[in-house]
Amino acid sequence: MLIKDTQDLEAEVTLLESRLQDARAQLAASEYPSPPSSWAVKGRQICSFAYSSGLESYLAHNKPSRTSPISSFHRFLKLSIASIASTSLPYVLAGYRHPSTLDTLDNDLDASTPCIVAQRASIAQGRALIGVWERAFRASFAGNPVSEDAETAATAIDDLSDALKSCLEEDEDLGPKGHFAPLWGVVCRAMGLDLQQTAYVFVMNHAKAVLSAAVRAGVMGPYQAQNVLASQELQDTIMRRIGREWNTPVEEAGQVVPALDLWVGRHELLYSRIFNS
Amino acid sequence: MRQPAMPIPSPFQSSIAKPGQGKVVLSLLPPNNPTLTTLTYKYPLKLVPRTGGFVPAPDSSALSDTRPSNPVHLYLLTYGGGLLPGDQIEVSITLEPRTRMVVTTPQGSTKIFKTNPNNTGTAPNVIKGHRDQMPANDHISDMSQQTLDVKIGRQAALCYLPDPSVPFKHSRYAQVQTFTVDATAKGNDRSSVCVLDWVTQGRTSRGEDWNFQFWRGRNEVWAEDDKGNRRLLLRDSVILDDESNDLDAGSISDEIELEEDAKGEAENKIQDANTAFVRPADLPPQTPAGLTPLNIIAERTRPHGVVGTLILSGPVFEALGSFMLNQFQSQPRIGSRNWSDHAPSVPEPSISNKGDVTWTAARVRAGFVLVKFGAKDFETAKHWLGGLIREEGSVIHEFGEEALCCL
Repeated sequence: MLIKDTQDLEAEVTLLESRLQDARAQLAASEYPSPPSSWAVKGRQICSFAYSSGLESYLAHNKPSRTSPISSFHRFLKLSIASIASTSLPYVLAGYRHPSTLDTLDNDLDASTPCIVAQRASIAQGRALIGVWERAFRASFAGNPVSEDAETAATAIDDLSDALKSCLEEDEDLGPKGHFAPLWGVVCRAMGLDLQQTAYVFVMNHAKAVLSAAVRAGVMGPYQAQNVLASQELQDTIMRRIGREWNTPVEEAGQVVPALDLWVGRHELLYSRIFNS
Repeated sequence: MRQPAMPIPSPFQSSIAKPGQGKVVLSLLPPNNPTLTTLTYKYPLKLVPRTGGFVPAPDSSALSDTRPSNPVHLYLLTYGGGLLPGDQIEVSITLEPRTRMVVTTPQGSTKIFKTNPNNTGTAPNVIKGHRDQMPANDHISDMSQQTLDVKIGRQAALCYLPDPSVPFKHSRYAQVQTFTVDATAKGNDRSSVCVLDWVTQGRTSRGEDWNFQFWRGRNEVWAEDDKGNRRLLLRDSVILDDESNDLDAGSISDEIELEEDAKGEAENKIQDANTAFVRPADLPPQTPAGLTPLNIIAERTRPHGVVGTLILSGPVFEALGSFMLNQFQSQPRIGSRNWSDHAPSVPEPSISNKGDVTWTAARVRAGFVLVKFGAKDFETAKHWLGGLIREEGSVIHEFGEEALCCL
């Protein structure tokens, strides 16, 4: 297995984040160094406090009368990881494996997202990723591609970015969207990451976002959340879900947790809420 | 495969290659006469049309300057009222412009019978932990499958409100329903689609509670232009998988080589199988040990006994779509202080507010309205959905009461 230890991973993410900081500082000074891993990008862009991925609504629908809030949360975390892996991960993998199909993947994922709020969140994250790519990484990777495939991937991102900019308001309904999952796959390809890392970081950061939301919603404390994030159990869960979806074509991506769609969709019915979703 | 003896040779017989296939073309002959120009089917599928059952009122559609054509009712039947392992139903329907069709399942729920255990346990080369292996390998022969492919021309409308699918214990089923609309039609000329797809926990009278092995329902709406370019407009896909392929193949075959008379024992064994998930030895080699996954389907559908999706699109179902959205948005807020059991009861403004159905409605892209619901049992869901559609009224007005015969 590629990633042996989550603590190592965490340490590496921290290291890479600091390297990104350095990189940005140097970029400002027009001296772009050797490429940092894109893991840090993800850490910065995606850990949004605005979205709970249905956690807030889940808590409202499942009052912890019999079970403790913590075990109820662990149930949600597993369901949420299974769901993101079955619905979105095939698009990450397909984006990585076939970068030239990015526009089709973007359309098909848009067609498969049943909830407006989830759709908006995915688009916001995807466009942020394009922004970082263009401002920070494009200069070093697209100009000096790691391989031919990386060049194809860089071209695909640029094409989608152009399409997004030239997209008129009136046909926006069916126009290009810039969904996060396929873009993540393509950007990682352009930057020369391997597919396992690409998939693992995608699911790991979903887990991280859910845990951040749990802290903000008062389900657990920040140290407890870090403990879960660093746990072997979480890593195993993620590896298992990636293993299951490794060869799933995007046509067969789908929701394995029907109840989750209901919680996410009913978020807007909450009397009071602290998250957008 | 052995073919049943046909008492009267059908002139269409030669055009149908495989058992379980069916083809229907509905045309509008002048002046305004809907006619089935093609109707073929082969065992175990049966398609029974009924015309003239309902005549819409002349003023029923304000959307079109011409009178809408009379809907044709197509009954979708299978011998025995369900699907056996290995059964493959393939129905292709073409609705030419301005035609209307109601499709129902008059036999009640689509029963998915259990997969033959002898085929399942011994299937070789199952790569543990990979979802796609199931449809892709030899298992395909013992999985029941149904595909429905409907082309809906401009101004044509399909109203498809079937009974739910009821997968029996150990059954495996995959269904793909594809609806193709005319991409060139705009505004009120657009094709209209109403599709309901729902699945229950099984036979509750026999204690079944999401005990099947695999159920997948996929619904896609595509837009196709005159040049044949296709674009996916909507995909709704639900996968309910007990993930038993992740287990050691041996434990699976032991567990399901049991007949109905040993049912109690079988259930105990299933409990064993479920707890076996936590045994590190049973995990796929590529996954580290020590995991307690939530693998059973019941865990992912809890607390519901039935889950489903209603897809609405096009001018004919615009009113119903808006109605569903309004009903959803006017539900009482969750967690509001007035919303408690001991609060003074206010008269229910609508059936949609009853607490035993959890549902959501959203207008997604291309004007589609997507309704998703979960309810404690089939009767509750049926009563709720039928109640809402009747209360709104436009489906009955356009297609007649018989469109709702499953609700």
